[in-house]
Amino acid sequence: MIQPGLIELENISLTLPGFALENINLTIRENDFFAVIGPTGSGKSLLLEGMLGLMPFTSGRLLFNGTDMDRVPVEKRGLAIVYQDFALFPHLDVAGNILYGTRYHGISRDEAQNRLEHLSDILGLSRILDRRPHNLSGGEKQRTALARALILNPSVLLLDEPLSALDPVFHGEAKELLKRIHREMDMTIVMVSHNFDDVIYLADRGAVIHQGRICQTGDINILFEKPCDLFTARFVGMANLMPVKVGKGRVTVEGSDVSLRTANQPAFPFGYMGIRPEDIVPEPEGDVPVGSEPVGNRLRGTITGIDNHGMFIRVGLDSGGLQFEAVWPRRYIRQYNLSHGSGIRVYVSPEAVHVFREKLDPVPGCQDKAPLS
Amino acid sequence: MSVLNRAKTDGMGLFFMGFSLPVILLLTLPLIEMAREPTVAMLFNTLKDREVMLAIARSLGFSLSAGLLAFVLGTPLSYLLARRTFPGKKLIEGIIDLPVMIPHPVVGIAILSLAGRTHPFGRFLADMGVQIMGTPTGIITVLLFVGLPFYVNTVKAGFESVPARLENASRTLGAGTWDTFRRITLPLTWRHMVLGIIMCTARAISEFGAIVIVAYHPMTAPVMIYERFTAFGLEYSQPVAVWLIALSLLLFVALRMMSRSAVQYQR
Repeated sequence: MIQPGLIELENISLTLPGFALENINLTIRENDFFAVIGPTGSGKSLLLEGMLGLMPFTSGRLLFNGTDMDRVPVEKRGLAIVYQDFALFPHLDVAGNILYGTRYHGISRDEAQNRLEHLSDILGLSRILDRRPHNLSGGEKQRTALARALILNPSVLLLDEPLSALDPVFHGEAKELLKRIHREMDMTIVMVSHNFDDVIYLADRGAVIHQGRICQTGDINILFEKPCDLFTARFVGMANLMPVKVGKGRVTVEGSDVSLRTANQPAFPFGYMGIRPEDIVPEPEGDVPVGSEPVGNRLRGTITGIDNHGMFIRVGLDSGGLQFEAVWPRRYIRQYNLSHGSGIRVYVSPEAVHVFREKLDPVPGCQDKAPLS
Repeated sequence: MSVLNRAKTDGMGLFFMGFSLPVILLLTLPLIEMAREPTVAMLFNTLKDREVMLAIARSLGFSLSAGLLAFVLGTPLSYLLARRTFPGKKLIEGIIDLPVMIPHPVVGIAILSLAGRTHPFGRFLADMGVQIMGTPTGIITVLLFVGLPFYVNTVKAGFESVPARLENASRTLGAGTWDTFRRITLPLTWRHMVLGIIMCTARAISEFGAIVIVAYHPMTAPVMIYERFTAFGLEYSQPVAVWLIALSLLLFVALRMMSRSAVQYQR
């Protein structure tokens, strides 16, 4: 049984026919809520299976608290996992599922019963302890799987896409529950997910994985705000991605006259610019002297489309032949007289103009560091 | 809506039913005709015949023994084939299906060639006091040979129906591989094992071609039917056949019910 502490993956590789995890380096600290984020097929679940010992790593070292786990069998690693499909045992009722592992962790019957009652109360399972998994809702299944893992007091809890199998009704509820478990149980959690919205809500640190390689690791807010490369930028919801020439404190969109100041200091001559849709701000006419545009990151454009997203609208803008996308509150339609074909002036602060490389490879690094831009 | 009602409004259903009917008739008419011919008195007289009862009991006993042996010997192989990838796996799967394809007298001849005194293995068996020719051991060996494909394929499908993820989850909760097999895999596949035993037993009950080569005596029911047919004609072989068919029908109905409950269980 491992003690609470660090998990370190050092130069981990895992080769399968047609796919490989390559040179994975990660450090997960005690009490981290660490997210491994990537699209489907990027290797994130495979990484979890490797950590559990279900798939042997081809090379590299996995250390828990400084101990090499290479020869430690799955059942002795002390890692608990909640699978995407929950993997509940269909022939056991909820209580049977939750108590399943207690006998292997030196937990007496009385103690196991106490923990079962405690967890059932916390997770709202008390009334369904005698039900079989096929009679449970998605949310109940997930809470049962969580209780089954938590009853063992694991030092590290692995979550494999824990929210993706839930319908929208349970999704928000389950997110809250995971946040509370992490806060109240002093536990290190490693979650893999393809949904950045879930990740930014739950995790403190994370890593973006793509085609079996880590693109960027670090504080989750840094991943969100300052992606290192084009893939990560797209994945964390960055929009208005355009190839740019990089000058001193400015970027010029290739093939256009649009030039914007940036607060970043890129050290490369060509790259990509990205602006979050919500960072493009409309301005009433008259704030800036007419005729002096574009001044200080102001752009004049024509509205090419307004899509209704309930509380928000997604607005398409054409400025100098370039297509921009902005997300604004619905009330702006009236406030700025927005309509298809109407003109508008927008402002982008230099801090909102992110610059990054198209691809980090073969440049190594960008792990646990500030982005290169 | 019943199948018949649905078929009335569904052209394709009607067409398929038209083609299904001859198949059902082909399977049932000869059997019905055979079962109709002996009188009730003849059937009951046959039941009183000690030789007949012994032959049917032997058929049942030997076949069940083969089914249980298939359970003991075939389960590990089924698990390996369902869960592991290894060189030559396809070849082994093909070999397991071989007894279904080979003419059954050939099976008998092959077993005798190996177990005969001219073969070192046969001599080894004889030295160990194991007789194949003309013994229950020989009959059970033959029945196991012809029944194993049915057991292995059924149980392999059972193991494949249990997601490996459940076994993985069990191991991450602290259970070793044996405990995982005992507490997860076995409870989720025992119905398939029972099905496999029933299929193997049912197949063994009907075996004639290989048994007649390896052990004419002690006489099993199919050998007795054959003997009575050749010595006394149709009239004397039919009642024994009727009892054997009734028995097989019972087994297969049980088999179908068991497989239905296995499917419901998985839902």
